[in-house]
Amino acid sequence: MNYINIALPKGRLGDKAVELFEAIGIDCEEIKNSSRKLIFTDEKNMIRLFLVKPTDVPTYVEYGAADIGIAGRDTLLEEGRNLYEILNLRYGNCKMVLAGPAELKDKFDKLANKRVATKYPRIAREYFEHRRKESVEIIKLNGSVELAPLVGLSELIVDLVESGRTLKENNLVIYDVIEDISARLVVNRASMKMKSERIQWIIDELRKNIDMQIGSQY
Amino acid sequence: MPKWKIYTPDGVQDILFDECYIKKNIEAELRELFRRCGYFEIETPILEFFDTFTVDEESTPQESMFKFFDQQGRILVLRPDLTIPVARVAASKLKDAQYPLRISYIGNTFRYNESGGGRQKEFTQAGIELLGEVTPESDAEVISIAVNAVKTCGLNDFQIDIGHVGFFKGLMEEAGLCEQDMAQMRILIERKDFIGIEEIISKRDISSHIKKLIFNMPRLSGGIDVIDRVRKILKGPKTLEALDYLEELLKILEDYGLNDYVSIDLGMVQSLNYYTGIIFRGFTHGVGFPILSGGRYDNLIEKFGLRLPATGFSLGVNLVMNALERQQKCMDKPHVDSLIYYEKEGRKVAFEICRQLRAQGLVIQMDITMAGKERVKAYARSMGIGGIIGVLDEDLIEIHNLETNEIKRVSRSELLK
Repeated sequence: MNYINIALPKGRLGDKAVELFEAIGIDCEEIKNSSRKLIFTDEKNMIRLFLVKPTDVPTYVEYGAADIGIAGRDTLLEEGRNLYEILNLRYGNCKMVLAGPAELKDKFDKLANKRVATKYPRIAREYFEHRRKESVEIIKLNGSVELAPLVGLSELIVDLVESGRTLKENNLVIYDVIEDISARLVVNRASMKMKSERIQWIIDELRKNIDMQIGSQY
Repeated sequence: MPKWKIYTPDGVQDILFDECYIKKNIEAELRELFRRCGYFEIETPILEFFDTFTVDEESTPQESMFKFFDQQGRILVLRPDLTIPVARVAASKLKDAQYPLRISYIGNTFRYNESGGGRQKEFTQAGIELLGEVTPESDAEVISIAVNAVKTCGLNDFQIDIGHVGFFKGLMEEAGLCEQDMAQMRILIERKDFIGIEEIISKRDISSHIKKLIFNMPRLSGGIDVIDRVRKILKGPKTLEALDYLEELLKILEDYGLNDYVSIDLGMVQSLNYYTGIIFRGFTHGVGFPILSGGRYDNLIEKFGLRLPATGFSLGVNLVMNALERQQKCMDKPHVDSLIYYEKEGRKVAFEICRQLRAQGLVIQMDITMAGKERVKAYARSMGIGGIIGVLDEDLIEIHNLETNEIKRVSRSELLK
């Protein structure tokens, strides 16, 4: 029997994913105790887990190097990979938004040329081209995107917002919500066919588990 | 200045001995299979007019094509696909052909935006097109050849999923979704994005049983029982027609003895503008992408001026090679059976011996270094050649077994026996 390979994102999203897999009976002891190893194996269930940079998860899954992956919806949209997005894991919730200075809120539509600073150039471009039907200048940044409108690098930003506090502190407001973001379970297209029974089992178990957890919050 | 001269551009690569040997063997076996099935090969140019490929913007968007200009300023492309050139030929040079017309091809195609994992910007496609028939028997023939093509390549563990675009279109009509919703729904179902699907259908006024069916569409895969299950719920003529067709097709494939390789996937919804009937894709272990795809495209050739139904498939030869490698299949590799060196007195005889051994099917290299026996031996050992033949003069021939270091003297007639 072949292994089922699972790519997990390093960091917060991955820690929570480990909890989820543990809850459905996959042995994750190794992953919690070791920091140097790259691949962790649950021989009993024939499952292999590996930790990768969050933005690389869709790549591993699309190529089939991983059968299953966990990634934020933001990463999936930005990478635009061809894979199955099967399950909303309902954690890591936030929003992808278009934002800018409060005083520009009612006027920004009239700007002849808009400059948009973002860590997500693809999402920003798709949003403007497809939903707003206009061309914009995208300025790709790697962090502190909120700074851009304050120092005149751009008029607008497209960014992830969790509580909205950073925006508020910098006198920025949300103009439009582009997407609701949360962690998703993705599956390689060929694996879904070739290893369907075992993958379906993982999906069903995770789904049950999440429904139970979310349900218990009420 | 010429700083790129030793590199190849992104997405194209050299294919060297072992790999090339395997690739050409695969192509030869596919060619043989297609011929035995009565499909005859055509070659179309690697260069085509851009206009030719604008008939199908969905599967070949302009940004996916390599473009340049001819001397008159017209836009040319490197062909991104081989079905469209076949359709062009069918509607022009072959418009008076006898139908059904069976065509095959093996050739390289070019696309930008291809991601890695075995997908290069230049890749080889092998496929067939069956023109002029609308019967399920013709679709079944194409699928049966697709199965045999994969087996011929040496892959045994694979699966071909069959769907029908009429099912999705009919279902959307029954649900009363607008064109825009339909386009979006197609992408969501293709991605098995249950979250997105739910979002759309929950906002629309759709009867609950259809809602449930749409939501479950990505999961509607399996054997003939899937068809029975869905048929109980649906009333629309288009969806029922699609299901009847699929059922008939499956029955024919059962008689072909292909049950183990094919299954139904009603959630398959790619390239809806291109395909008009059944669609199918093949998957195997070790490659994250479909290794083959195909289906019925009754409206394509009409765009070149001839109304002609058609069905076909194409197989990604490079993807198949990836799968063979990942599945660690043992493949034939290039090898040399023997190497002949000679003294001047034996030259003529050496050439004659070489000719006869090659005619017997052996792979023979001739020594052209004239550097002496020891050098020849060292070279042969490093090449993994098991034995060499020395022709010292017309009658004196030495066979050196390089594994046992034995030397045997033989006459010419003994050697060629």
